[in-house]
Amino acid sequence: MAKNQPGKDNFTRNLVIGVVVGVLLIMVVPTLISKQTNTSAKIPASVSADRGYGIVFNGELSGVPVIDIYEDFQCPVCAKFEGVQGDYIESLISAKKATVVYHTLSFLGPESVNAANAAACAADEGEFLSFHRSLYANQPAENTGVWSNDVLVVLGQATGIDSKKFASCVNNMDYKDWVSNAATAGAQANVNSTPTVFIDGKEIDRQTEYYDVIKFKSAVERG
Amino acid sequence: MIKSLHSKYGAWLGLISRLIVGGVLLAAGLLKFQQLDKSQMAVRAYELLPIGFANVVGIILPYAEIAMGVLLIIGAALRIIGGLSALLMIAFTIGIAQAWARGLSIDCGCFGGGGQVEPGTANYLPEILRDCGLALLSIYLFLFPQSKFGLDKTTTSGERDNG
Repeated sequence: MAKNQPGKDNFTRNLVIGVVVGVLLIMVVPTLISKQTNTSAKIPASVSADRGYGIVFNGELSGVPVIDIYEDFQCPVCAKFEGVQGDYIESLISAKKATVVYHTLSFLGPESVNAANAAACAADEGEFLSFHRSLYANQPAENTGVWSNDVLVVLGQATGIDSKKFASCVNNMDYKDWVSNAATAGAQANVNSTPTVFIDGKEIDRQTEYYDVIKFKSAVERG
Repeated sequence: MIKSLHSKYGAWLGLISRLIVGGVLLAAGLLKFQQLDKSQMAVRAYELLPIGFANVVGIILPYAEIAMGVLLIIGAALRIIGGLSALLMIAFTIGIAQAWARGLSIDCGCFGGGGQVEPGTANYLPEILRDCGLALLSIYLFLFPQSKFGLDKTTTSGERDNG
């Protein structure tokens, strides 16, 4: 236990330990705070905080099944789900036969955040569903830099959204805090993969019902 | 015989253990750090902790792994970090083993990623073996926290002097 070089070695060591632990503590605290729901976040008109910050269609109906869809626009399996079930779900919305809530998660990376923000901007223009469709139809590989805000504006224009308001909403990331709230709500709802679909609060069967038109339809009608 | 071999080469074994465990922790922490939402998802998918607590663990874990990895690589506070890392690896092993036993289909989320996966695609055995190996190296560091080229004092003599 003798100290050969009194003080010196242990001072350096303790300093290094202090710096490493200190820096990481300073970083973790704001991160934990940023994951809290930000109640002052700007949210699109069609979003309901009570429904997990999802974009709601037919929220006023009662006695119809409620379909909650958790998705990430960059997730290839979500594009597959959209391809198989998208038409049916949109027909339920237009026929007012179900309440549909889209939860746009963003765990795959910054381009998911861009896409979710742009989708919320499209929702303000009444074009969420068509933009949703365009995103999946033009889905690039994950985080390859394709979905910059500029590209998303162009994609919106190609979908028929050509207002200046949409472009500035996308470029300014107006709904960034809302995207974060939606992610937090998804975490609180214990959603552990995308797509995840709940019908009346219960997840449908992952092995059989997601990618089968007939089985999905009967799951919806079962309610 | 073993004792004399250990006093001769133990510090080198300490160095190797330190670099392996530290390197793995640092890599795992950095990969998770880039996708904290997914890290939270990975912890939830073990269905072991209450959801709110799992979400906090999912954020803190990457930071803790980075801190432990850095300290192991530079060789500071080896006994404490070795002990913590052994406990962490044992916790990971229990988590993976219970997921396997309960028939969950999840990505272990060890190096980023995580969450549910297609049934039948999860492969738990190699992950359990890896974590057991890392646990053994960590326990070694806890028991013999002296190693070559470390920042802790008396890093090369066989004597222990650690905080």
